[in-house]
Amino acid sequence: MSISRLLAIAAFTLAAALVASVEWAARREGSRIPTLGDLCAGVMRYRVGRVPVGRVAVLGLWWWLGWHFFAR
Amino acid sequence: MERPSPEVAADVPAAWTRPVVVVPVFAVLALVGGQLPSFSVAANGYVLVLGGAMVWLGLSGRVRHRPVPGRPGRGARWWLLPAVVLLTAEVVTFALGSTDEYPTLSRLADPLLAMEPVRSACYFAWLSGFWGLVRR
Repeated sequence: MSISRLLAIAAFTLAAALVASVEWAARREGSRIPTLGDLCAGVMRYRVGRVPVGRVAVLGLWWWLGWHFFAR
Repeated sequence: MERPSPEVAADVPAAWTRPVVVVPVFAVLALVGGQLPSFSVAANGYVLVLGGAMVWLGLSGRVRHRPVPGRPGRGARWWLLPAVVLLTAEVVTFALGSTDEYPTLSRLADPLLAMEPVRSACYFAWLSGFWGLVRR
């Protein structure tokens, strides 16, 4: 396995570990860090006029992720 | 028989949105999705129909949402840490061609997703995540 491939895998693993760590910190008693779910809820509240822009963006991003990994 | 007031009726979640219904339905959908190979018309159609239904549910207001938490404060900045690492790795590997030497996340996932049990498990996770977002 090449060094560059190893580095790429290490970077993605680090990102996953950081997600787990921040989520763990967010769930501690009295934490000021929002959980990932609460952060998504905050983004999804964003509206421009009557258009739920944040909601459309988050749901659309999740839809695209499914298509990207399972279909394309 | 006395009819419940609209306020009371609105507070009761629909029976079909309960985990005892949703989880088995997602399991069946994930098992079917796990059988469909990437790049096939069926896989494209399936994910587009499922995703379209979820987006429609999420935007139509037919599913009761969880209570909205307060606006995220400064603590939300901690989420930039994994986001920056993930985006940097993805952008760099994509710019370098997404080859075996410089694999993007999806290229690394492809061999795993070629295995039907893993593919079905990931499908289930995707649907569950979608459901979580629909209810937010």
